Amino acid sequence: MPQNEYIEESIRRHGRRMDHAERKRKKEARKVHKDAAFAQKVHGLKAKLYNKKRHNEKIQMKKTLKMHDEKNAKQKTDDAVPEGAVPAYLLDREGQQRAKVLSNMLKQKRKEKAGKWNVPLPKVRGIAEDEMFRVVKTGKSKTKSWKRMVTKPTFVGDGFTRKPPKYERFIRPMALRYKKANVTHPELKATFQLPIIGVKKNPQSPMYTQLGVLTKGTIIEVNVAELGLVTTGGKVLWGKYAQITNNPENDGCINALLLV
Amino acid sequence: MTSIYNFKRIAPVPESTDFLDIVLSKTQRKTPTVIHPGYKITRIRQFYMRKVKFTQETFDEKLRQILEEFPVLDNVHPFYADLMNVLYDKDHYKLALGQINTAKHLIDAVGKDYLRLLKFGDSLYRCKQLKRAALGRMATIMKRQKDSLSYLEQVRQHLARLPSIDPNTRTLIVCGYPNVGKSSFMNKVTRADVDVQPYAFTTKSLFVGHMDYKYLRWQVIDTPGILDHPLEERNTIEMQSITALAHLRAAVLFFVDLSEQCGYSIQDQMSLFASIKPLFANKPTLLVISKTDVCTLDAVRPEERQLVESACDSNVEMSQLSSYLDTGVIETRNLACDKLLLQRVEMKLKGNKVNSVLNKLNVAQPGRRDTVERPACIPTAVLERRSRQDAAMADGDDRPVLERDLEATNGGAGVYNIDLKKRYLLASDEWRHDVIPEIMNGKNVADFIDPDIEEKLAELEREEERLAAEGLYDSAEESEDEEERRIRDVARRIRQRKQVIANESRVKDVNRATLTNKQKAAASAPEDFVNHLQQLGLDPEAAASTAQRIGRKRGRSESRDPAVLLARSSSLAARAVSTQRDRSTMGLKNARQKTVSDKKKLVSQRQMNLMARAGESDRKIGMKMPKHLVTGKRSIGTNDRR
Repeated sequence: MPQNEYIEESIRRHGRRMDHAERKRKKEARKVHKDAAFAQKVHGLKAKLYNKKRHNEKIQMKKTLKMHDEKNAKQKTDDAVPEGAVPAYLLDREGQQRAKVLSNMLKQKRKEKAGKWNVPLPKVRGIAEDEMFRVVKTGKSKTKSWKRMVTKPTFVGDGFTRKPPKYERFIRPMALRYKKANVTHPELKATFQLPIIGVKKNPQSPMYTQLGVLTKGTIIEVNVAELGLVTTGGKVLWGKYAQITNNPENDGCINALLLV
Repeated sequence: MTSIYNFKRIAPVPESTDFLDIVLSKTQRKTPTVIHPGYKITRIRQFYMRKVKFTQETFDEKLRQILEEFPVLDNVHPFYADLMNVLYDKDHYKLALGQINTAKHLIDAVGKDYLRLLKFGDSLYRCKQLKRAALGRMATIMKRQKDSLSYLEQVRQHLARLPSIDPNTRTLIVCGYPNVGKSSFMNKVTRADVDVQPYAFTTKSLFVGHMDYKYLRWQVIDTPGILDHPLEERNTIEMQSITALAHLRAAVLFFVDLSEQCGYSIQDQMSLFASIKPLFANKPTLLVISKTDVCTLDAVRPEERQLVESACDSNVEMSQLSSYLDTGVIETRNLACDKLLLQRVEMKLKGNKVNSVLNKLNVAQPGRRDTVERPACIPTAVLERRSRQDAAMADGDDRPVLERDLEATNGGAGVYNIDLKKRYLLASDEWRHDVIPEIMNGKNVADFIDPDIEEKLAELEREEERLAAEGLYDSAEESEDEEERRIRDVARRIRQRKQVIANESRVKDVNRATLTNKQKAAASAPEDFVNHLQQLGLDPEAAASTAQRIGRKRGRSESRDPAVLLARSSSLAARAVSTQRDRSTMGLKNARQKTVSDKKKLVSQRQMNLMARAGESDRKIGMKMPKHLVTGKRSIGTNDRR
């Protein structure tokens, strides 16, 4: 009955087969060709998955290669031209610089650029009423159609009291009500799930604002007490505006960017 | 032997990336894949809801399987629970399983949420995005389980390789300092092939081997060596031994190496014995002095000897063995096994269970009914034989010669061949050893063997004779009388005739022009008829006379001959009055006029034909709107389809 580390034990006692190293080497050498053959043969969903994986591997490989190259790659610079008289055979030489420094600088610049945020979504797509609302037919013979159901996510405040259902014009389904939003702080580069306080403005229409419809580009007020932000005066901030950056009806969640 | 604790059946736990691939491709395979924006929105919604639900269920099923298969530490035997705690760290193990459980719940919640959202999806695009978001969130949750999954996979692999120790059976535990000969003993008494090396901690984990003693199956557990230090300082390897000692109800063999080849002094070893003695409570314990080929108890210094002997008390016995010389090994084993067996029996007798068995046992002692003696009935022949034997015994020639004796005298087993024919019961004793041929006259003799054949044959012959005497076989001369012969003859002729008719109809060519029956009759001469009747066996004369009487010619027709008739028919055309004339040509001068008039006739009839009139006079006006065709509700079809 094999127990514990029986494989290692067996190898230790009897050794590996004589051509183990050879077989291993050959297998490794053959692997490239096998993979290539597989890549050609595979199709459908498996191909998609495989190609994605392979693509990522290749990117990773190239990055590694580049990193190794960067160590000793040399690049020309204009300003480092040697001063004074230069012998003719050195005239075409230009100043050279280590690439690594330059790339670091570039990275730094990019980072700074990324940090600057404007109002994230200045423009939004218009949404027609018949996309926003579904007509609900009422009446005994279902002939009346003055009732509307909102088909987009909404925010409904805690204090909301319904009208009698018979006379309620706009229905906001429970399934599409949201109370929290994933808010990204652009400077902290961190995302928090914060409770929504209210809808400040829906750019589509003031009516949507009133209904609390959450669409892309809507400005909402979120409770930032969790973040512990303070004003310059030293007061604790708790309400702050944020703009919704995704299509909540498509994603099932609300992502917003804090407006600072 | 099967153990309840078999951890080999746990299914492999895939890595988190593999896990995702498995689940998502299963969704792809098992759910419909074709959808078009033109479909009804309910169908589109249902399509995507099915995908989300299916994925969630697959995740749920897979995670549940993991949770169910891994042993719950509270439910397994304390030995295994403790061993797993030592090897895998209980907290870590529970945490990993707990995280998997949480992930399962989270995925369920995500699935539920998105199903609810999908109910409000109003376009294919929106439904698709929601599905994507749902699967994406499930995938994210699974990706976070990467570490738990890989840990569980490692645990599974290790668990599967644990020796399958049955915690409840008869067990010997071998323990002691490292390198004192525990594994050598193990190899001697069982077939377990434990590695033995001349350095400490060769054995790093528990090993189990099996042996038979007193027709019972025993397991022997070889433990890694333990050093003498406090429990907190013990490492994982030592802790395994401690776990086994603590939780298994077994006989303990504590090995001591008096030669100190192991590198530890006798004092150290004895102090270890003293320190772990609490673990031996209620267990039969043996202090085994190993390696007696190198150093025995007599050879050590007296104070050390004193130390060793003082360790032995009522509960602890001493035993000496040398695995190298093979002395004392079996004795030690037997001693330990006997002690354990005794203890187990005692334990059983103490327990409650034994009472329930003992209550059921009852040894009945029947009392005497009366004073009548009812001795056993022994046949007189047997009694005689016995007395003869007794007499023979008294003489010294004690017993009858048996086949065994014959065998012994005639060269023993393999040489002596038993004579099976010796006691055949045949008519003559001389025939006993005759060879019976297997085949005789090309036939298998065995097929014809019938012990009563003579008897049966004689019986048959007697019966035959009897029957012959009774005259059963006298052939009665049956005279065929006249009547019968005639009938037979007729029957034969009928049969022949039938055959002829059948043949004739068979050769008849149906494609040839044939005469109708009437014509045939006209063509046939009266002689044929007569012949035919004769063939049928009827009287032709009578028939002929009847025919004459019926078909007698009338007087006038008798005189006319065919020439006259012909002349009459040729003169028919000349007789204008009695012949019918073609009215279509009447009043017309020539053929041209005829064609013109025909044309005119067609033209004049055209309108009538168009109106489907029978003629000029047909002025019927039919029903224009039949009520049954134009009134009532129309659910299916058009009017003209009715």
